Order: sequence, then structure tokens, then C-alpha cells
Amino acid sequence: MMLQDGSLQLLCLTASSGVPLFTRGASKQLPFSVIGSLNGVHMFGGGQGVVLTCCETAGGGKVVWRVFQDSVMLIAVSGGRGGGGGGQGGAGSSSKEEEVRLQRLLENVWSCMVLVLGQDELANVRNVERLKRDLRSCFGLIDQLLEDRQEGILGNLTHCADSLLPPNPALLQEAVENFAQSADSEFGCLIVHGKIAAATEKWWRLAPQEVVLLSALMRSLSASGSASCDYPVFLPQGSPTVAHRLLRFQLLPGADVCVLCGPTPSLHRAESGLVCRFWSPLVETLRDCLAVGDRCLPGSVSLRPDVLALLLINRETRRSVSLVRTSTNHPLGDPPLPSKARCWELLKLFYIFSTTRYFSQEETLGLEERAQRGNTEDFVLGFSHQPLQCYLVTDECKSFGLQTPQHQLFLLIPLSVPTLALRTVATQTLSDITAATAF
Amino acid sequence: MSLIPPPGSIIAADWHRCADSKEYFSKILRKMRRKNFGLLESPVMPPHVAVDTVHYKIFISGKSGVGKTTLAARLAGLNIPNMHYETTGIETTVVYWPVKLRESGRVLFFRLQLWDCGENALRRFDHLLPSCKEQVDAVLFLFSFTDRMSFDDLSNQIAKWTGPSVGRVVKLVVGTKFDLFMHCDVAERDVRNFQETWSLPVLRTGGEVSDGLGDVAPILNCLAENLWHQDCVTAGSAGHHTQQETGTLF
Repeated sequence: MMLQDGSLQLLCLTASSGVPLFTRGASKQLPFSVIGSLNGVHMFGGGQGVVLTCCETAGGGKVVWRVFQDSVMLIAVSGGRGGGGGGQGGAGSSSKEEEVRLQRLLENVWSCMVLVLGQDELANVRNVERLKRDLRSCFGLIDQLLEDRQEGILGNLTHCADSLLPPNPALLQEAVENFAQSADSEFGCLIVHGKIAAATEKWWRLAPQEVVLLSALMRSLSASGSASCDYPVFLPQGSPTVAHRLLRFQLLPGADVCVLCGPTPSLHRAESGLVCRFWSPLVETLRDCLAVGDRCLPGSVSLRPDVLALLLINRETRRSVSLVRTSTNHPLGDPPLPSKARCWELLKLFYIFSTTRYFSQEETLGLEERAQRGNTEDFVLGFSHQPLQCYLVTDECKSFGLQTPQHQLFLLIPLSVPTLALRTVATQTLSDITAATAF
Repeated sequence: MSLIPPPGSIIAADWHRCADSKEYFSKILRKMRRKNFGLLESPVMPPHVAVDTVHYKIFISGKSGVGKTTLAARLAGLNIPNMHYETTGIETTVVYWPVKLRESGRVLFFRLQLWDCGENALRRFDHLLPSCKEQVDAVLFLFSFTDRMSFDDLSNQIAKWTGPSVGRVVKLVVGTKFDLFMHCDVAERDVRNFQETWSLPVLRTGGEVSDGLGDVAPILNCLAENLWHQDCVTAGSAGHHTQQETGTLF
């Protein structure tokens, strides 16, 4: 095994010559000879007309390769999940889940690099030393992706925007639209507790990855506590070679609004002229929105007590809401329920489990990637129709997945709930939320 | 260049230690820590205590890695980043700081907005520097005590902010990482010489963040004093007394 259990390392090299550009992650760096071999074996495959994408080590570690723009190679090396994924159907399947996770990670890292530096600088490497220096600007976002410790944030995996449904959506929606317009922009977004509470119509027309990536950037800017920002950003899909300006304003601690705009207005002008004008009247509405907190759903939604955690995706808008209920003395807590952090982990694993094996993911995966994954159960391929529901019982909890043309719902349910009741819990939860919020 | 007022001549030095400042400083604290204000918020005093707030824009200048973001966070009482990441655009931080004018006894809230922009971002994107310069009131020139080059470069940096095109701008110099004396690369004598040549205040920062306001008060008071003095000079209404005093000192 190359790395310790649970640790993760990211390597970045030039694709043509294998010059290391940077490494991030695990405190103990892989020796140079290992990095060289990892690059070498990929290059050897290339010479034989084979694209090496993934391999597993005897100790349960994983290596995933991907080359972007024929220019930059990213390699993710994980030391295995330390048996953590064993709960979801044994070691074999947990390694598939790990592979999906690492592939997603590489995509996201590349997007981060484009976001900060633009595609031109990455695709046409003229001066390696300069690129190395410039790449340092991406480390903040990349480390955030590698740590992946933010509870309640699943967008990096699902490529659906983590959202918070405010109690008073219409008012906030109008304010975001007007604010963006006054800043000469069609792209505006209000982020509360790191999740999108309202956004202009055009914001949702950005590529799903971009929406997720911008949310991640906003979260890291917001966490610093700064009052406002003017950040040049390239959009990996929409504008990879021309930078836009992301103006961000901290309205209240935990509530940030941003707009994507061109050369005007200046940060100073937007802040002194527009922020108070549009948002001062809404301070109380924003505070109500902040009070929703981790729950992500307004008080008008009452959930069944037997829902431990949920992830609900709107397939059309590419948005999601997710929550884990904090209940140490849950009435159904016998046998003991998994911890909050474990629930988030299980929710992610069950999402990968369901989407790779049963549920379609056309929205998020490119053709190439779908072919690469090839995890779908054979019996699914044999049918012309799509599975609509799936469930999984492990020694930690029960999980149920449900798919409709508009939604995907993933639920964790305590072991004490009879398996035959899972479907009822799921369908009722879906209608509880959609009826009350029009999500 | 307008002469700099001697420390404590215009505003009460160490006012945060005085009993009469407590009701004002309590507005910028919460649970013994500094309060983080959103743009829609500000310290609120009871209605019978009317306090004016004066707004200033301050640009933090200095080489990459010198500690611009850390200084902004320190002055605002925010969490100090434990890893160095480049700032890839402009980030501004708002600091509220109550100040008592010595002569009149009047209390003011200074709202200092610190503008921090990564050096590499400034180089890569042409629009960032003009944006930082727009209506700026003061510049903090940073150097690191552990990085000789950042100290030697100060003259260049300051020269860029001098001359008729820039207008009136308060200039202060702040030496960061003062605590790392083992790696100190800038001698006390050099700092003194520099101070004499440029007649600019040089302040020091670094080390563990203490709970109190003591470690940020000297910088914030010095900044507030110079900003207020500049405003008075600009308005042509600088107190006769103040002008005389600075005149005799320098």
C-alpha cells in the first residue's frame, strides 16, 4: 500500500513530459520514484494505444488517472477507506464507490484550475516554472475539495447545487433579480449557510458543474469573514478563456450575495451604491432564512420521524436539498443510530451506489465517462426500462432510493423500521416536501 | 506630504483600557471575541448616545506571502488562516473601531475597510489595481521581518503612491512576523534609518493573537489618527494646536 488508510494524495504533472507541477493532500508525500512510475505506467499504456484510467492496489488503495486538454495529467492516489465503506455491501462495492469518487474529484480539481487560471494558460504550457507558481493560486479550492469535510455539502459529488429553501422565497428571488440587474448582470445568487437560497434564472443556465464550483468558491470566501470580494473567474464550460468578475458581498454573517459581471460596476461603486439599497429592507427576511440553518427546509415542511437523513434532487433544475437529523435520543434509536458525520458519509455512499448501479445519470455524465464507469449491474442493461426504486439494508441503517421523472430521493432510515415500510416512508417524504415547497 | 501627527496627539491613546470606553467597545465585541459585521450591520448605540461613523478605505500593499490577508484578519478579529493561500482577487474586510478625540472628547466610530489583493492577481489582471485605488484614503505598506527583500522593496512601493496623480493618501508601514526573531532579517537599525528617511510611522505586528484588543489597538489608533488628521488638513480646519505641535516635532 502506498499511502495510509483513508489518506488521499493528488498529483499534477505535465502530460507530455511528466514534469511534476504540484502535489496536494496526505501529509506524507509519495516519493518521487513512485510519482515517476505512476506517470510512466500511464505513458506506457498510451504508447500501446491503451488509456489507463484506474487501478487497485493489493492493500485496497486506488489510483485514478486523467489527462485534460492533452496538457495536464491529474492522478489521485487513495490509501483505501480503512474499511469505512464496508457497511455498504462489502469491500468489492466500496472500491467501486471510491473509484467514482476519485474520478469526480479529478474533474472538480481540473474545473478549479480552469476557474482560477483560465484554460489557455493550462492548455498551452509555455513556461513550466511560471505555471507552477500560478497554480499555487488554486490550492485553497483544491484543498477544500480534498478535505471534503463540510457536512451538508454534496454538490461536489452530485453536481447538483446544494440549496436551502427559504420560508419567503418570492421576496428574496425578486431582490436577487433586481440587484443583479442594477449591477449590469444577469447572473446573481444568494447563498445562505453555503447553500443557494435564491438565484436569477440565468444562474441556473450555467453548467451544473459551474454552479457547484461557484458555490464552493463562495463558501471559502464567506468562511474567511471578509466583507466583499472582486474575484476574476473563468467559467470552465461557458467562458474558459475570458475572465468574468465575481462580486461577492457579505450581507450578514452566513448570508452572501454575488453577481457575475463584466468590467462595470467597480466593487466600490456596487458596494456603496447598490448593496444597502436593495438589501437593507430585507434584513429580517434574511435573518429568517439564516434561522432555517442545517435543516435546509422551511418550518412548513414536517418530516416523518423515521427519516434519519435525506438527499432530494430536482433533476430538471439540477438542485438538491439534503439534511441529517441530529437526534441522539431518537425514539427509534435502538440499536444505536449512526453519528451525524457517519450519516453524511452513508448518504454519499448510497447516492453513488444507487446512481452507478440503477439510476440513470445522463444529466451529469458525459458519454465518455459513462462508458468509463461501466458499473451498471448487468441485469439493468438487459432491460429497456429504468429501475424506479432501490433499497439496501446494512448493519448500520436502511437506505431507500426513489426516482421519478422530476426527482431523485435518497433516504436513510433507522434499522428498527420494518423493511416493508421503506417505500411508504419514501413516497410520503417526497410528497411532504414537494407539496409544501414546490421544489 | 502632510506631516504626521505624533502618536496620541489627536486621539486618546490606549482608550480601550479606560473605563469610559467600555460601552463603546462592548458594541464591537461578542462573547469576548470581536463581532463580525455584515455589510447591512453596524455597531448600534442606544438612542441617547449619538455616535457618528466615519468611513475610510485602506489598501494593503506588499509582496506575496508577506501577510496581507493575515493582517486584515488580525485587525478585524477574524480567524487567522493557518495555511498560506494566495488571495486570487480583491477581498475587503471591515473593521469598526471606536475612537475618542482628545481635544473635544467626542467619540467616533471609525469604519475601516481594508482592501487586500494578492500580488499575482494584481499582475495577472489589469483592472484590480485601479479598483483598489479608487477613492482610497490610506495605504498600509507591509514588509516581513523575515524577508529582507520585502523591506528593501518598500521604497519602490511607496514611490508608486507618491505624486500628484495619487492625491492625498495616508501612508503607514507595518512590519509583520515580528515574533519570529530567530529568523529576523531586518535589523532594528535599518527600520530606524528607514523611518528617518521617509518620516512615516512604522508599526509592528506578529505572534499569537491575544483575546484582548491590545495587540491591534496601536495599529488601529495610529491609522485612525492619521486619517482624521488628513481629513482635518484637507478641510483646512486642522486644530491650530495640532499643527503647531507637529511643526515643532519634525
